[in-house]
Amino acid sequence: MRFLLALLALMLLGGCAAPTLYQWGGYDQALYAGYKDPTKMEALRLQLETHVTEMEKSKQKVAPGLYAELGTLYLQSGSAEKAITLYSKERDAWPESRTMMSAMIQNLERRQQAQAGSEK
Amino acid sequence: MKILLWSLIALALTGCATQQPVKTDMSAFQAAAPRSILVVPTINKSLDVDAPNYVLAALPVPIAEKGYYVFPVNTSRYVLEQEGYYEGERIHQEATPTLAKLFGADAVLYVSINRWDAQYAFITTTVTVEFDYRLVSKDGTEIWKASKRMMYQPQNNSSGSPLAMLITAAVNAAITRAAPNYMPLTQQANQQVFILGPTAIPDGPYRAAALKQ
Repeated sequence: MRFLLALLALMLLGGCAAPTLYQWGGYDQALYAGYKDPTKMEALRLQLETHVTEMEKSKQKVAPGLYAELGTLYLQSGSAEKAITLYSKERDAWPESRTMMSAMIQNLERRQQAQAGSEK
Repeated sequence: MKILLWSLIALALTGCATQQPVKTDMSAFQAAAPRSILVVPTINKSLDVDAPNYVLAALPVPIAEKGYYVFPVNTSRYVLEQEGYYEGERIHQEATPTLAKLFGADAVLYVSINRWDAQYAFITTTVTVEFDYRLVSKDGTEIWKASKRMMYQPQNNSSGSPLAMLITAAVNAAITRAAPNYMPLTQQANQQVFILGPTAIPDGPYRAAALKQ
């Protein structure tokens, strides 16, 4: 009886939801929390970092935009190098992002060169 | 227990057959056949200054799950700010082809928040969100639009439809009267508009590809 009930409940839950294409690792909730309280943006960065690493380890596709979002969080905390790496990953994973990602990478590289130039 | 079992059986049998009354005309959408959608910051007509950010955070997941490439919303916002666009109002005034070209997007999604409020009464609290949605293709043609109002009132949960009851139960759990949480309502509005309701957009390339496999 109990088993039957559980089975039915499972059917019910499974029946509705179309299978999801991606795993988001709590991205929307964490972004919401970050907007609500900007000190939580750091938590979003850590959460995305963990999620992306897990996805790569298990050879699953990272959901659209997540590499780039993580890159921007690194950029905003002062790590342009990491941002460039992540923007390149977004560009390679999603051809639709090429225009945007290439522009951002170019921009950062130019900025880095200018900085290197002024330090000489 | 018996009753619970039978109602579960009934529910399982009816499954998820949602009736779709009048289908929206999708010919313009299909002609444009966008692969990628840029979600720009929203226009806020409500009194809550935080509403636009919350709505922005809730938009990418349902649209990407529908099979489109959604430009990273927080990164897009950052880029727009670098380009001098800070306000949703200012961005919505800009010509779509200009925005689309900047990002290489096939279509731009504009959302305005009409309502985002909680009305407190003696016993009940009514939380309301209302949004207008508009998708414009990169050539400037409007290819889809919808609007959705969602209301939540703690007592009102006997509307008959099992799906509605499930939704109400889910919202019920998430909302406390002390601090109304708008996110579940916002997520449901998005689900209804993009995926479940009569305005649902066609499957994007990534969902279509996944279904073929």
